[in-house]
Amino acid sequence: MTSNRVICVDIGSTYTKGAIFRLAEDRFVVEARAVTPTTVDYLPDGFFTVVQQLSPGADWHNLTAADAPCPVYFSSSAKGGLKVAVVGLVPEMSLQIARLAAFSAGARICASYPYRLTRSCISSIEKAQPDILLLCGGTDGGNERYVTENAQALAASDFNGTIVYAGNNAAVDRVSDLLADRELVICENLMPDFGRLNIEPVREAIRRVFLDRIVSGKGLDRLVAAFATQPVPTPLAVLNLVRVVGENIEGWQNFALIDMGGATTDFYSFADAYNPDSGTIMKGIVEPKLKRTVEGDLGMRVSAESTFETGEAYLAAVSDFSTEQMAALKNYVMGLTTNTGHLPANAIERYYDSLLAGACIYHSLMRHAGSIEEVFTAKGRVWAQTGKDLRRVSRIVGTGGYLAAMAREGSAVAISDRAVLPTEKTPLLPEKFVYLSDNDYILPLLGNLAEKFPRQCALTAVSSLTVTQHYEVKEPCQREFIKA
Amino acid sequence: MSATNIVLGVIGFDCHSVGNKILEAWFTESGFKVTNLGVMVSQEEFIAAAIETDAKAILVSSLYGHGEIDCAGLREKCIEKGLEDILLYVGGNLVVGKTPFPQVEEKFLKMGYDRVFGPDCSLEKVSEMLKADIAAKAK
Repeated sequence: MTSNRVICVDIGSTYTKGAIFRLAEDRFVVEARAVTPTTVDYLPDGFFTVVQQLSPGADWHNLTAADAPCPVYFSSSAKGGLKVAVVGLVPEMSLQIARLAAFSAGARICASYPYRLTRSCISSIEKAQPDILLLCGGTDGGNERYVTENAQALAASDFNGTIVYAGNNAAVDRVSDLLADRELVICENLMPDFGRLNIEPVREAIRRVFLDRIVSGKGLDRLVAAFATQPVPTPLAVLNLVRVVGENIEGWQNFALIDMGGATTDFYSFADAYNPDSGTIMKGIVEPKLKRTVEGDLGMRVSAESTFETGEAYLAAVSDFSTEQMAALKNYVMGLTTNTGHLPANAIERYYDSLLAGACIYHSLMRHAGSIEEVFTAKGRVWAQTGKDLRRVSRIVGTGGYLAAMAREGSAVAISDRAVLPTEKTPLLPEKFVYLSDNDYILPLLGNLAEKFPRQCALTAVSSLTVTQHYEVKEPCQREFIKA
Repeated sequence: MSATNIVLGVIGFDCHSVGNKILEAWFTESGFKVTNLGVMVSQEEFIAAAIETDAKAILVSSLYGHGEIDCAGLREKCIEKGLEDILLYVGGNLVVGKTPFPQVEEKFLKMGYDRVFGPDCSLEKVSEMLKADIAAKAK
């Protein structure tokens, strides 16, 4: 690198944001930031506006990578990001693994279907027209019937996106024959043996499809050519950031990150999913250490109404609101759905927003976390765990415009350490942790540097955060465990 | 021709793992591709594994005496899930007390299991039977 500066740009669905970083010893320093509305018709326009503001000395429009004053990295979630439909076999097995894989590639899952694709499934896929359809099912040498029948159904459909096949390897020939006239990417089975996860090849395949297919047609191909750099989906940039922090920074081996936006709440965790020494027996798949889930019904503006619907019981429980007060909250929420640019105008609206944020966090955390139940056997008591154990998570990071604004204003972020509403099983929620805020909302931009500068990027990320709250569970759900 | 898939596990809240490991080794040696679900396996897990692996048989073990209540309904659930043709084997200390084996066998055959074994059966015979039963189903 001839210059010690880099520019990062994130092309979001509403705003194109950028920053110029200077590498000072072991970490980056933000020198300037810029933001402009995303130019939806031709994305490079907004991109160049931002880059020109960050580095006015050069004529960016007419540059090539060779004579650019510094390298440029960029991510994009424009036009709703990378839309993926998932087709698997058993819901809690291959389908669940496929969902984890798609999320960890930075995708937005628009639909998932177990077992056989019926005519109504096919017509909803045709209507949704996802960028990618991830088809899987069956272990290697296992079930072939469902994937071939589903391939047949897709072959007869009007779906014209890319199909990524990651099912039973014994069915590869039949699936390729059936889908010969489609854009088909074959990769390794994501569950080669029952219960064994093999997510990386699918992640890589989805990333390639993103580059080949999503990048062209939105003007991004021009940027790729001009700066000799490949964009990543914005959530993948954040996921890469979470990974390099967990891999490089001492004390960050168990943490979570919440990225709360207007439309979705993304939850990331870097933690061992199962701690065998805790005396629990694992049921179902052991989830990956690095995990992302996306909640399409939880968000502060576009999804405010569905957040209210999902979170109504939670909101009533934590707010102690009367029926009239709940109605007033609902009224505020309905207003947000139509006026998504609304910012809270007074103290009560700020309180409403913090309640909504609490609901987004509570439900996304409950869905991301696994659970345990106590089981009495002839040999005594044991614990049966499903999903991911987050109890050891010692840090939770909040990012996204709303959480950043809340932290700057000094409003507390409600993160529950136990189920607020009655649940069948005990959720495995973080027990003792600090909440850190990305006050400057820099993490998604920084994520663009994760692959190239892992250590510097991780150091910059953790040192840019502000500790805002400490949480501790008064009575841990399980004090002791009986060895099974 | 690849190895035939079978699913193995100890049902219910039973934690007896030694026999389970022996069975896994034995059936793998005998040429099967074994998906061993280990101990404390629910009916749903047996079925999920059998679907994904296209298993020809589910081998259920029970040692702790609650076999009768744990094993009831597995055949019906298999049918519900589209595994009408799967072979179901069950073995172990299936009931508490001194019930004569023929009575135990009759009970489990009635539940829809194809073969029932006590704690002292010969594994060689079991794998021979399993191969013959799978071949007969394939016809």
